[in-house]
Amino acid sequence: MYLIEKNNVMKLAEELAKSYDLYGPVIDKETKQVFFNKVENASEISLTAEIPALPPKTIVFPQIERITKYKYDKTAKKAEIAMTYDDRSKAIFGIRPCDLTGILVLDRFFLGQEFVDDVYKEHRKRMFIVSNTCVVPFKQCFCVCTDSGPAADEGYDLNLTEIGDMYLVETGSEKGKAFAEKMGLKPAGDEYITLKKKAVDKSISLFEKVATDNKAWISRVMNRVTTGFIKDDVWKHIGNQCFECGACSFVCPTCSCFNIEDHNRFDGSTDRLREWDSCSFEGYTKMAGDHNPRHPVEDRRNKRFFCKLSYSQSKKYLRPGCVGCGRCQWVCPGDIGLPNVVTYIRREITE
Amino acid sequence: MDYKSGVCNFCGTGCGNYLKITDGRITGVFSSRNHPVSKGRLCVRGWHLHEWLMTDQRIDAPMIRVDGSLKKVSYEEAVNFMMDRMSAYKGKENKEIGFLASPRSSNENNYLFMKLARGVFKTNNITLDSESGHKASLNVLSEGTGFAGMTGSLEDIAKTDFILVVGSDLTKMNPIIGSEIHKAQMSGTKVVTICSRSSQIAKLSNVHLQIKPGSKKVILGALAKAAISSGAADSDYISKFTEGVEVFKNSVNSLEPADIEALTGADYSLITSIAEELCKSSSAMAFWSTGIAGLDQDTVSYIYDLFLVAGKIGKEFSGVNPIAGIANLQGGYDMGAAPDLLTGFQKINSDAASKFEKAWGTTLNKEAGRDIYDLLADKNSGLKALVVADHDEGIVRYEKEIEALDFVVYFGAYDNPFIKHADVVFPVAALIEDNGTYTNTERRVQLSQKRIEPFENVMPGWKLFPMIAAKASQNWNYSSAEDVFKEITSLTPEYAGLTYAKLIDSMGIQWPCNDKNPAGCRRLDAEKAGRKFKFADVSGNYKTPSATAEYPFLLIRGQGEHFWHQNNIMKKSYIPKREYNATLLVFPEGYVEICKEDAKALQVREHWGVKIVSASGAMKVSVKISDDVKPGTAYVPYFIREMITEFLLEHKSDIGRGEDAIIPVRIERV
Ligand code: SF4
Ligand code: SF4
Ligand code: SF4
Ligand code: SF4
Repeated sequence: MYLIEKNNVMKLAEELAKSYDLYGPVIDKETKQVFFNKVENASEISLTAEIPALPPKTIVFPQIERITKYKYDKTAKKAEIAMTYDDRSKAIFGIRPCDLTGILVLDRFFLGQEFVDDVYKEHRKRMFIVSNTCVVPFKQCFCVCTDSGPAADEGYDLNLTEIGDMYLVETGSEKGKAFAEKMGLKPAGDEYITLKKKAVDKSISLFEKVATDNKAWISRVMNRVTTGFIKDDVWKHIGNQCFECGACSFVCPTCSCFNIEDHNRFDGSTDRLREWDSCSFEGYTKMAGDHNPRHPVEDRRNKRFFCKLSYSQSKKYLRPGCVGCGRCQWVCPGDIGLPNVVTYIRREITE
Repeated sequence: MDYKSGVCNFCGTGCGNYLKITDGRITGVFSSRNHPVSKGRLCVRGWHLHEWLMTDQRIDAPMIRVDGSLKKVSYEEAVNFMMDRMSAYKGKENKEIGFLASPRSSNENNYLFMKLARGVFKTNNITLDSESGHKASLNVLSEGTGFAGMTGSLEDIAKTDFILVVGSDLTKMNPIIGSEIHKAQMSGTKVVTICSRSSQIAKLSNVHLQIKPGSKKVILGALAKAAISSGAADSDYISKFTEGVEVFKNSVNSLEPADIEALTGADYSLITSIAEELCKSSSAMAFWSTGIAGLDQDTVSYIYDLFLVAGKIGKEFSGVNPIAGIANLQGGYDMGAAPDLLTGFQKINSDAASKFEKAWGTTLNKEAGRDIYDLLADKNSGLKALVVADHDEGIVRYEKEIEALDFVVYFGAYDNPFIKHADVVFPVAALIEDNGTYTNTERRVQLSQKRIEPFENVMPGWKLFPMIAAKASQNWNYSSAEDVFKEITSLTPEYAGLTYAKLIDSMGIQWPCNDKNPAGCRRLDAEKAGRKFKFADVSGNYKTPSATAEYPFLLIRGQGEHFWHQNNIMKKSYIPKREYNATLLVFPEGYVEICKEDAKALQVREHWGVKIVSASGAMKVSVKISDDVKPGTAYVPYFIREMITEFLLEHKSDIGRGEDAIIPVRIERV
């Protein structure tokens, strides 16, 4: 545990920028929307910005990225193939606990199962992560219901917690510790354990008043979803409201589905792209001869909630698939973000 | 920051977005949380805008046709070639030349295209492509209120008390508007949908009037009649703000409840209670789609008159609202891309023309031109040359007629089936390769800024069109798209107060924007309109198509979200294209939706092939069994090439009638 004065905290980012591509929350000047984006200069980053609209998952799993480039030479009958993985070293500065948990879930999907995804691994390999405790939640947050905030327990190299006019700097890895030492940070006394706990407790107590958009007490719902005891009518009611836009998957810090496409370039070469996909799309699971395992839209919807909220799926992620960020609620044209669906199911349970 | 604010260019909702630009290339899209229309949402199309914009299927150089094949040349050569060939049609008031404008081009490019047609080639034969219904709606609104656009605002959907949706499925056509309506419904707004099929918006409504195909006018007239005879009509409003109610009253009074029930299949007492609710609500809005599947002018007149009877035009959170299916359909009309219009709905045969003559330093032909599709359909029209911009349908309608023309010029950014008919092809800079304004369905003018350099150095419109004008010895002097916009605002009263600076600082401004409304105008205001609202003429013709023993089904058609009239740019995307293909995979020949009972009677099952036969044609499709249609109704989505070219186009006169084009058919097992 170390300390750094509030007005010096960005020095950490400046130092990281020397050896890493630096990413952090940036507020768009024109529109005030917050993005988690690459910056040229540490000063662009705001540690107090609200939870970014764009989840930091885009850094390890971009919306669309080239994974292979190839060119076929017709006369020589030879194909040149190049793997084009992104192997830059990246520092993520100021990630919120929910989003960090999201990356850990993605790790378990892309790295922890039967296969290891090389593209993802390259993004993730040389990464330095600095997380930021939410001492005040935001309107849309419900991480207290999904056990993913408002403070991070794991996955970071450094964790920052604002306490008075200081930031408490906790280290979560050898790399983090070495960096803190190199920066000559002042060690924090034991009283900071209590001070941090107080700050986190205060944040949790603020959810009632501040985080008013969404409430999603998911545990009983998880039981229901897993056992399949939810009436068809409820799924139908939910499915009728789905506009099949895919947004809930795109903004979700834990959604990992992708699609592969070949993009023919003007110069005769081809880029093999991988891009975000969503289980809400009819084409997502479509097979020849109309053998679509998820035909009606309500089946596709229930797939998403099964993925986020069932025990069997949680076993793979070692936690629920939802990290309580509330993004799917505000992007959903159908008004059936996960928190609302949880409400519908709870209502059915109580009825 | 890699994310730059922008505007979605698919449909007329005009959702705000951010485009991700890395190393001068587009690499993503994200929704805009603070945008007044979309508030963080996008539909499946909007979420994949980057896929379309990153395509390499572009036109990279000007081309001219030599010995049957297209050859790349310089801009200079292409312009010379075009002007040389077009000079053959000079001096005949140029009735031989036609211009087909694009509802997807920016206001600036549409304005220049229109200026080229009228100012340089002296022709008023100019039509916006992919369109039939929006102009009809604007005619009604402009005649009646002087306001040639949606009279309400999308932002008001959340606050209105009562919503009437007439016809096609807004959740598919303009999903984010559908979403606003759905959210309003969830928080207490009463939503009534009139549609012969149980579409998604119908399912999300409080009341779905699933009327017999082709009876929309009857039910709209019946609602008006019920409002008047029950005494619920807003008589204060009618006498204070309107004129001409008597004629309308007479034409709906002829409807008898028994006939209404027989023609529509709806219960008259339900109609009466809806009419009462509409009138008594504190505010109400009506919505209908325009464009290819839109409503005809007569039906729109009924909606408009009904809302005058209810006193719901020109009031807070109220209005009658045509919904444009394509990004700049409204803007295209604002820019005068119609046979009878100059910008801002000023008529070509009015005094306004002299203002344009002065500004452009040339004389104009002041007789309204003709619609391009009419000219193509009319064998004796004498049309010889056609100039086309940014055609985005994958299907070229009137292909044979276009092939028979002497000379075709094409302007566009993307590779397109139209090119095979063209004698000269000009590439132009695409969206975000140049600045440009777009006007959404609620009159919101938004600036889409230049974010990347043009593909292979192709020219922006403000450079290219003046090059052509210069060959005709006209000096058009612009050094940016902004210069063009300044000229537009100087000639268009509704746009007078707009500047690029204002647009950059806002998320769009709704016209009229002028001295009186410097920040734009959210809605038409009856108190300040300075005139009375005129009831629109209605036909009083309540004849509905009827099934016969020979043709026992009434066929209705519709558009889906992904197939979107075989959209050419959609095909340059990945996910939306895949969604289109997903339907194609299962129904390669297209499908006809019929209910269980009918399928049983015909002894057909899901996926079985059937022949649909009408009095003038036949097509083969597969069966899809669905609860969404009632017995006796057959529904075909509009997405299979053969279906459109071989079958539907045989019903040209029906298609002209827009959504109410009901075709009596029989279905045969094959
Ligand atoms: S969901 Fe929790 S962790 Fe995420 S931003 Fe909100 S308070 Fe912080
Ligand atoms: S399901 Fe929704 S609330 Fe949960 S993590 Fe995903 S986007 Fe956030
Ligand atoms: S965001 Fe909502 S409407 Fe869109 S796919 Fe997800 S659940 Fe459906
Ligand atoms: S509703 Fe229209 S403008 Fe909005 S994202 Fe979809 S296509 Fe684009």
